[in-house]
Amino acid sequence: MSARPIKILCIDDEARILRALKALFRHHEVYTTSDPQEAIATAKSADVDVIICDQRMPVMMGVEVLREIRAVQPRAMRILLTGYSDLQAILGSVNEGEVFRYVSKPWDNRELTALVDLAAKIAREAPVVDAEPINEREQDEARKRVGILVIEDDPETQKRLREILSPHYQVRFAATTERALQVLEQHETGVVISETESQRGDLTEMIKSLKQYHPHIATVVITDRANAQLAIDLINEGQVYRMLLKPVRIGSCRLSVEAAVGRYWQLKQNPLAARRFLVAPRITPSWLNASFLERIRLLPSRLLGAGRVN
Amino acid sequence: MGIGEVSLTTLILAVVAGLAIGLAGWLWTVVQSERKRAAAAGEEFKTLQSTQSQVIHTTKLASLGQMIAGVAHEMNTPLGFVKSNVEVVGELIEEHQQQNSKKLMVAADYLAKLARADLSAPTAQQAVRGASAKLSAALRAIASAKPEDATELLTDSIDGLDQLTNLVRNLKGFARVDSDGMDLMKMNEAIDSALTIAQHQLRDRITVVKELDEVPAVRCVPSQINQVVLNLINNASQAMGDGGQLTLRCRRNGDFVELEVEDNGPGIPDDVMPKIFDPFFTTKPVGEGTGLGLSIVHKIVHAHNGNINVKTEAGSGTTFTVSLPVDHAALRKSN
Repeated sequence: MSARPIKILCIDDEARILRALKALFRHHEVYTTSDPQEAIATAKSADVDVIICDQRMPVMMGVEVLREIRAVQPRAMRILLTGYSDLQAILGSVNEGEVFRYVSKPWDNRELTALVDLAAKIAREAPVVDAEPINEREQDEARKRVGILVIEDDPETQKRLREILSPHYQVRFAATTERALQVLEQHETGVVISETESQRGDLTEMIKSLKQYHPHIATVVITDRANAQLAIDLINEGQVYRMLLKPVRIGSCRLSVEAAVGRYWQLKQNPLAARRFLVAPRITPSWLNASFLERIRLLPSRLLGAGRVN
Repeated sequence: MGIGEVSLTTLILAVVAGLAIGLAGWLWTVVQSERKRAAAAGEEFKTLQSTQSQVIHTTKLASLGQMIAGVAHEMNTPLGFVKSNVEVVGELIEEHQQQNSKKLMVAADYLAKLARADLSAPTAQQAVRGASAKLSAALRAIASAKPEDATELLTDSIDGLDQLTNLVRNLKGFARVDSDGMDLMKMNEAIDSALTIAQHQLRDRITVVKELDEVPAVRCVPSQINQVVLNLINNASQAMGDGGQLTLRCRRNGDFVELEVEDNGPGIPDDVMPKIFDPFFTTKPVGEGTGLGLSIVHKIVHAHNGNINVKTEAGSGTTFTVSLPVDHAALRKSN
């Protein structure tokens, strides 16, 4: 525990959850509310470090509250604590809430307190990334310099993504993880767009490992194999930046990639902020071979001043 | 001419006889094939009936699945705070004990110091009096320090456990796993059970209004009537994709108990209306709806000697009315 008590804002429509959290974090400074508007105001006025928010609220959904809080108190780390796990809401928490962790009720007290300690430390120490998109001049430069890697083995989707993205970005395609690694080794890659699975098997472990060692890379998952647990794991262990469902829609695809390029560009200028996207430790499955992981770890880091984490 | 006449008559007779035999033969084959067809139809009917009861069983399992998912979600919140509170109360007790022993230690230290000191009688007496005062102050402090947080957390936890108990009771009541026969049932309880189960898909999207009169019990297969209520709620909720108001009414109308499920969705189009109770008819995309929900409702209601009516208006909503006969025996008993 740091000398200054951590300031935690808990938002839930269930008063008994709020009392439980207040008691759990009794050695910290806890603010509780069931009212979204009050939450948004308190987040700023109390200058809170960590937000713990339920997904379901009257009037406003949790992700909307989180999105608005992100605008007024960008320093605070956002944790979603919820008993419901429906896919649409989880996607919302990625794409709009940009949450640090998705925690399910009933929670584990020790894990939650450890998580809040970590989140508070990051909230205080890591610089903030601008929530505003980068300006047009920067965008032009980013488009020229930042490579986009698409990991996808379905020719139809490849073709669709090529049509949407190639006119604007430097896009490279890989149908296998081996090819993906080669691209990453040879080209500055800021954004990775990936399915969760290919004909040859799982891709999420690669996405997670990549983020584990190179948190500045923004990942966009576009999938038709989504389920709630997979999405939750991609948030917690992969800090996925955007998650879209197939079929690929031109508008949301362009917007997501644009934002992802911007995010990478911001982290490139402000490498210490990458700590905000620290992934949760996970047990790497035994089939993921060590040399593959090692190659991911040793990918050249082209960020000025940014060392690899770990 | 005689011969000719005879032969003509014979010929006519022969033709008539031939025709008659032919007709009889034809009739016989027709009757046979009709009989076969009837037998086949009987078989088909039997198969259809058994398929239908299988379908009822399968959709019952599906609604059980929905129920379990829904109730599991509802349980996570009370489980969350009860679990946390119990742990925290344990910690509070420990902290409380530590504070108490700290207070007693102060008094003990003082006494130990006194014991070591070389004192004259009057000073000693004074010192003992001082020590005694310190000790009682410490004891008073311990007795009055009540961990208020702990009391509140425990009250919340008991509340939470009650809530969990209710959820499990609802689950059991809805499934009626213990009996599948006819029983007396209170319609309003069926409505409450079904609402608990549908809760997680109604969420904040749909406002529920209940207008429930006190009504006599109906004799029915409770698990089937539960399914009727849940299917109608599901149907209404899905009709109001972007949200709306679900009104549930229960009232007595002569010899019937009427259940009304009203939504304020877009209404059922004219060309869809005649098909809504057909098995496998659905307006949802392939893979999303079985098209069995309303046909099961229809089948169950009729098997209970009841009726189902639909009133719909484009743009303002749909109302399903289910009427089930009141159980007169039970009614007499209760009077």
